[in-house]
Amino acid sequence: MRKFPVAKIFIYIFLILMAVLYLAPLLWVFSVSFKTNAEIFKTPFALPKAPTFDNFSFAWTAGKLGIATLNSFIVCVITLILSMIVGSMAAFAIARMRWKFSKLALTYFLTGMMIPVHCVMIPLFTRFAKIGLSNNLIGLVLPYLTFSLPVTIFIMVGFFESMPGELIESACIDGATISGIFFKVCLPLGKTGLFVTGLMTFIANWNELLLAMVFISDENKKTLPVSLSKFVGPYNTNYSQMFAAIIIAIIPTIIVYCAFSNQIVDGLTAGAVKG
Amino acid sequence: MDKLLRNKKAIILFMAPAFLLFTFVLFIPICQSIYYSFCDYDALTPAKFSGLANYKTLLGDKTLRIALKNSLFFLIYSCVTQLIMGLFLAALLTNIKRGRNLFKNIIYLPCVLSSAALGLLWMFIFSPKLGVNVILKNMGIKGPLWLMDTKGFIILPMWVIAFVALWQYVGQSMMLYMAQISGINRSLYEASYIDGCSKAKSFRYITLPLIRPMVATAMSLNAIGSLKFFDLIFNMTEGGPNHKTEVLATHLYQQGFKYFKYGYASAIGVLLLVLCLIVTAFINKVVKTEQYEM
Repeated sequence: MRKFPVAKIFIYIFLILMAVLYLAPLLWVFSVSFKTNAEIFKTPFALPKAPTFDNFSFAWTAGKLGIATLNSFIVCVITLILSMIVGSMAAFAIARMRWKFSKLALTYFLTGMMIPVHCVMIPLFTRFAKIGLSNNLIGLVLPYLTFSLPVTIFIMVGFFESMPGELIESACIDGATISGIFFKVCLPLGKTGLFVTGLMTFIANWNELLLAMVFISDENKKTLPVSLSKFVGPYNTNYSQMFAAIIIAIIPTIIVYCAFSNQIVDGLTAGAVKG
Repeated sequence: MDKLLRNKKAIILFMAPAFLLFTFVLFIPICQSIYYSFCDYDALTPAKFSGLANYKTLLGDKTLRIALKNSLFFLIYSCVTQLIMGLFLAALLTNIKRGRNLFKNIIYLPCVLSSAALGLLWMFIFSPKLGVNVILKNMGIKGPLWLMDTKGFIILPMWVIAFVALWQYVGQSMMLYMAQISGINRSLYEASYIDGCSKAKSFRYITLPLIRPMVATAMSLNAIGSLKFFDLIFNMTEGGPNHKTEVLATHLYQQGFKYFKYGYASAIGVLLLVLCLIVTAFINKVVKTEQYEM
């Protein structure tokens, strides 16, 4: 019943072609980011002759990508921590506590998955301008946090529901308070879930462009995708610096991805299986 | 224990932060947005009710027609190609053992990268002086203006952007289908081989029916994603040349935050929201059928 190996060979040839299609653009931009501007046009596909880091340092300082990276990092970390706490608290109440409207509350949160952020941008923008949150990183944290909650709550509800009830029972008998049960029993057990949702939140917010572009106009408060889009464009003719900027923007996520690819995949499928 | 878990105060305390955030940052703004869409509202004048005026402008707006056409093109294109390519890749990858994880991780990689950065990268690859056209020139072919051409009903830049979008996001569909396929019980396939079923037939009669619920999920994710589509277009063409590659999201951004017509932009937002809801409802109705025991 074994298949003829020829079929396997074709599968591998096809997959290798696909891999080239995926890696070639990234490797190309990586190699040209070390070239000088003249070299890019003379030999665009050769390896750099004398690799230079000037492009990177220029993009980092003059292109303001350094500050932008820091801003992105601040926003993403704050959002990450808050979404883990707020999301898992709500998920715990929905999954484990007994009240009439728990199902309704879950539905309320899950509808958030279907709503595009574009629809709330204008009211939020005008409101934030009135209360001094525009041009403020907190003004970004709030919508990021809110839009990360549906997925976080969805995945964490799954985790808490799959936990054996005896654990909570025995904690009750030992006289634990409700916050004790949550912080000392359920959260440590849901660590994997938290980690996965945290990763997804972080990556999604790290890459977010539209809201950041609308809410932040101060040069020193822009996040990475915004600064990148401003730096790389038709008015800049120094291609090598722009390529270096692209590399700066994608390297952090590539590193995170290489380190945690399995968890990221788990998170993706966990978030969608019941969808 | 029952008393502890029914403690009203604790429930309120646990739910309050998420509930308040959701209500104030999502639910109320949506209601406001719907209200604004019936208002004459811009940066200088406060919102004033004006009935259906914005929606009437919407009907006569030429750029909106292009944007709507492009968005719908995107929607259909990404649903169809992601389904075919995603399923195809998932079927290939679940059939091999060696290197499965490697290929899977490579194809999924762009999904986690910033689409702003990738859009810029592809903009250079398709620019006249660098990338693809240089290769074509070396082979003696004069490459087209990938991102500038304006001929045809769906113009060339839209196809290019749609290709890049497929390139970036097909990993997600592939991953979802792979997860579902590897969840299917092996004994089903073994039984079918004993009955003399070919690989192609077992794919048609076992795999396809069993992953149908996942098709619905992946498709609605794609559909919403393609309606929300912004980053790639903004960085590859900025809606140009001459607004020919505008989609709903970029048009909304232009109207709302370049011309500050808040009321009109809200109307576009409402249109987007309604489209999202209709499309998800439609996909779930048509694709999702009964769940099989696996």
